[in-house]
Amino acid sequence: MPNARVLRDIKARHGVNANEILRRAYLYVARNQTLPAQVRFQAQLQLNTFGRYTRPSTVKNRCTETGRGRGVISEFGLCRFQFRQKALANELPGVKKASW
Amino acid sequence: MAAVAPSRLAALTRMRCEIFQTSYNPTSVRTGAKYLRARLRGPSMINYYPEELTVARFNRMGGGFKIQDWDEYERLADVEEKKRRGKGAPKKAKSAAESRRMSRKR
Repeated sequence: MPNARVLRDIKARHGVNANEILRRAYLYVARNQTLPAQVRFQAQLQLNTFGRYTRPSTVKNRCTETGRGRGVISEFGLCRFQFRQKALANELPGVKKASW
Repeated sequence: MAAVAPSRLAALTRMRCEIFQTSYNPTSVRTGAKYLRARLRGPSMINYYPEELTVARFNRMGGGFKIQDWDEYERLADVEEKKRRGKGAPKKAKSAAESRRMSRKR
C-alpha cells in the first residue's frame, strides 16, 4: 500500500490527465493577445475554477519504491537510498559501483 | 553597398512565411499557440508509478474466484476488538453544532 503522499500524487496525475485538453483550450484563449480583453479575462476566470489537482505543477515524481519526495534520481524513479540498495543488489541493469 | 530598405526585408519575411507555411508575426504578438503546440503530458504522467497487484485489486477484477485478504481480516478484527474495549473511533457529528471542532475553538 503506497503512502498518502503517493496516493495524493496519483490523484493529481489522474486529475491532470482528465482536464488537460480543456485547460489547454482556456490557456490558449487567456494568453492570446489578439483576442479581446473581455474574452481573455473570462477564460482566466474559468481557469481559476479548476481544482487544485488539475494543475500539472502539483504532480511530483516521487520514489516509486518508498514514496520519498526528495533525492529522487529521475532516470530510475528511485530515491538515492533505494537506488544504492538496488544497484548494490545488481537489480539495475548497467549500474555498477565506481572503483578506481 | 546600399542598405536594404526595411519594408523590403519585411516583404521578404512575409514571402518566406508564405512559402514555408509559418505564421507571419512581425510584432511578436503572443498568440498562445505554444499551449496548443505542446504535447499532452497527462497520458505519460499516469504511468509513472508501476501498477501494484494487491489482494483487494485482484478480488475487484472479478476473475471468478477470490483470495482471502488476511491483512484486511486482521485489521477488521483489530477494529472490533478496540470497539469492544471502548477505544473505537468517535461518532461522526450529525451537525456542525455538535462537532468537537466547534467546541474546541471557543
